Amino acid sequence: MKTPELVVSTIPHVHGGNSVQKMMINFMIALLPAAGMSVYFFGPGAIVVIAISVVSAVAWEFIIQKVMGRPLAISNLTGAASGLVFAMMLPPTAPWWMICIGTFIIILLGKEVYGGLGNNPFNGVLIAWLVLQMSFRGEMAGWIYVAGEFLTESTPLEILKFEGLESIPEYFTIADLFIGRTTGFIGEVSAIALLIGGVFLIVRRVISWHIPVSFMIGVVFLSGIFWLMNPEECADPIFHLLAGGVFLAAFFVATDMPSSPTTPIGMLTYGFLCGLVTMVIRQWGAWDDGAFYSVFLISMLTPLLDKIKPKAYGR
Amino acid sequence: MKVGTFPGGLNLGSIASDTSTFHEVPSSGTVIIPLKQYSGKACEPAVKKKDEVKVGSIIGESTGNDDASVHATVSGVVTNIFKKYPDMKGGTVPAIEIESDSKNELDVTVFEGTDIELIQKAGVVDLDIDAVPLHSKIALAKEKSVNTLIVNGVDVESQFSSRAVLLSEYAGEIAAGIDIISKLLGVTSVHIGVIEKASSAISSISSACSTAQVVGLKDKHPQSLRELLVKAILGKEIPQGGIPEDIGVTVISAETALFVARAVNDKKPVIERFITVAGGGLSKSKNVLVRIGTPIKEVLDYCGVSVGGAGKVIIGGPMMGTAIHSTDMPITKETTGIFVQNENEIAEFPSGVCIKCGLCIDICPMKLMPFLISGLSEAGKYAMAEKNDIHGCNECGCCSYVCPVLIPMVHWIKFGKSEIRAQRSSE
Ligand code: SF4
Ligand code: SF4
Repeated sequence: MKTPELVVSTIPHVHGGNSVQKMMINFMIALLPAAGMSVYFFGPGAIVVIAISVVSAVAWEFIIQKVMGRPLAISNLTGAASGLVFAMMLPPTAPWWMICIGTFIIILLGKEVYGGLGNNPFNGVLIAWLVLQMSFRGEMAGWIYVAGEFLTESTPLEILKFEGLESIPEYFTIADLFIGRTTGFIGEVSAIALLIGGVFLIVRRVISWHIPVSFMIGVVFLSGIFWLMNPEECADPIFHLLAGGVFLAAFFVATDMPSSPTTPIGMLTYGFLCGLVTMVIRQWGAWDDGAFYSVFLISMLTPLLDKIKPKAYGR
Repeated sequence: MKVGTFPGGLNLGSIASDTSTFHEVPSSGTVIIPLKQYSGKACEPAVKKKDEVKVGSIIGESTGNDDASVHATVSGVVTNIFKKYPDMKGGTVPAIEIESDSKNELDVTVFEGTDIELIQKAGVVDLDIDAVPLHSKIALAKEKSVNTLIVNGVDVESQFSSRAVLLSEYAGEIAAGIDIISKLLGVTSVHIGVIEKASSAISSISSACSTAQVVGLKDKHPQSLRELLVKAILGKEIPQGGIPEDIGVTVISAETALFVARAVNDKKPVIERFITVAGGGLSKSKNVLVRIGTPIKEVLDYCGVSVGGAGKVIIGGPMMGTAIHSTDMPITKETTGIFVQNENEIAEFPSGVCIKCGLCIDICPMKLMPFLISGLSEAGKYAMAEKNDIHGCNECGCCSYVCPVLIPMVHWIKFGKSEIRAQRSSE
C-alpha cells in the first residue's frame, strides 16, 4: 500500500539560503571601497598589507584547523574576512612578520581555542590588534604621507592631542577627512568609503543599524559636550566622527557577531557605550584614538547586555 | 486604505500564483473519513459496516462541545470501520471507509434546529490551522463576552491562494455567513483581514459585506496566525498562552463563514474543502475543491504532481505544515493546503554553532530570542526555556528559515514544549 517513500521531518521545510559564507562575501565586498581608497592614497604598500593579511589569515586557519584535527572551515570565509578587516587597522608600512603574528593571534586566540566560530567571547581581530599595539608601538605608527597632499606624518588625532586644535587647519580640512586624504591606518581614513560599505552591509542585512548608529551618536554626544564646554581646545563632533577609526570601528569592528549583543536594546546600549568610551580615551587617555580599544572593552559587557531581552509578544 | 502589519516576519514572495477558480477533483472510488477532523474528541460512529449511505448522511454525530458531526461525502456502502487509522499528526483516529457507488445521491433528510444547532449538525469547524468545532467556539466566545469578530481572509501560507480566491468568488455567501456568526456572537465590530495584494478579494468582499471593515494586510509570513491578525488589525496582543477570546476577540476563517451560510441557509453539511496544491514541480499552484475523505494521492494525481524520488508531501505550507508519510491519507477538514517537495528541494537543517548574528531575533514575530530558547531546550533546561517565553513561540518557522548556520530551532522549541507538557502531566 505504501507509495514512494516520503521524507518526514519538522518545520520549516524550506530555508532562505543564507549562509556564513554569503554574509562574509558581503562583508568583504563592503570593505572594497575603503580598501580601494587606501590603495589610491597610500600606493601599492596598502595592497601588500591587505594581501599578506588575507592570505596569512587563511593559511593560519588552514594550519590550525588541521593541527587541531577540526573539520576544515576556511570555505566559510571568516578567516579571509578577518584578515581583510585586520589589514584595514594596520599602517601602510606594516612589516610582513608583524601582520603574520597578528593573523595568527586572530585565528588561534580569537577563534580556534574557544572551539571555533561562534564560541569566541572576544573579537579576535581586536585582540590581535591590541597585542601588536602594545608590542610594536613603532611599527604600528609607521605612517607615511603622500607627497604634495599633506605635510605631516601625524594622524589628525595625534595633531589634536599633541599640537592642539588650532594646528589642524594647517594640515587637513573636514573634506579631507571625509574623503580620506589624511594619514592613519589604511582602512580607517576614508569616511565616505566606509559609509558606502556600511550602508551596503545594513541593506544586505549582514549587520543591523543599531550598533553603528548608536556608536556614532555616542561619539557625537560626548564630543559635543566637551566642545560646548571648551570650544577653544576641544574639536567639534564632526571632526571626532570623521577622524580616526570611528567609521571603521562602528560598521566593521564593533559589529563582529559573536562578540556583540544580539537584541535591539543590547545593541543600542553597546554601540552608545563604545562611542562614549572612544571619546573618553581621546579626551583623557594615553592614546590619541580610542575607537578600537573601546570596542574591546565594551565587548566584555556583551553577555550582560544580551540579557536585555525584547518585550515578548503578549507579555 | 490603511495597511496593517506586525513587526518581524518574512516576505516569502507573492501570493496567488493561481488566481483562477477552483477545479473540482472528481469523486473518488473509496473515501476514508476520520471521525475526528478537529481539535477535540472523536465522534461515535453512527453507521455500521455494510450500511448504505448517501452524500451528506451523518456517519458520526456530535454530542457535545468538543466534537463536530461527520458526514458521508459520497453515496455507497460502508466497507470498513477502523478503530485506529493513522492521522497526520502521528497519532491514530477512528475512521470510516465508504465505497462509492459513483451515483453521488444526496441524502434528503433535512436538518432542523436553531442556527447554532444547524452549525453543529452540519459539522462546521473553524477551517484553520487548529480546527475547533465552531459551535463550541461560539459558546466559548459568548461565555467570554467577545465583542469583536475577525475574519481571517489571509491564506495560511504565502504559497497558497485558496482563501483569496474564495473571498473574491464566494463573497456573497461568505458575507451571509459573517452576518449569521456576528448575530450569534452578538458582536458589532467585524473586521476582515485580507492581504492587500489580493485586490479582487478585497473589492468583492468589501461590496458584499457592508457591515464589516475590510483591512488590507502586508503580505508577510505568518500573517495568517491569529496572534498576528489581532496585532495587525487591532493593534492588541493576546496574553502569552492565552486565546483571542481573552481580550474579547474571536477569529474565524473566511471559509468557515462560507460553510456557516451553507449550513444555516441551505442546511448543507461540510463535505468538501477548498484548498491550494502547490510545489512539486507544478509551474503554477492549483486551487481545487476536494471531497473530504479523498486520498491525497488522488488529489496529487489530478493536479499532475509527482512526488519525485524520496520527496516530501506536506499538509499545510512549507513553513508550518506537517510532512506526512503516506499519500494514502485522506483530505480532512484539517487539510489547510498541500505542498509537495521533490527530493532535491528538501531543506536540511544539519545545525551548526550559533554565530550570534541576531537574524532570528530580528525576524521573530513574537519578539522572542529563538536561539536562546532553542539552545535551552536542546540542553534540557526547560525551566529556563519557560522563563524565556518558550510558550510564546507560535512555531512559524521564520527563525530557522533565516539562520545562516541552519540551526533547527523550531524543532528544538517544539521538542522543549512537548517535554514540558510531558513533565506537567506526569506530575
Ligand atoms: S521562535 Fe517561534 S515564533 Fe519566533 S520565529 Fe521562531 S518559530 Fe517563529
Ligand atoms: S540566526 Fe542562527 S546563527 Fe544567527 S543568532 Fe539566530 S541561531 Fe544564531
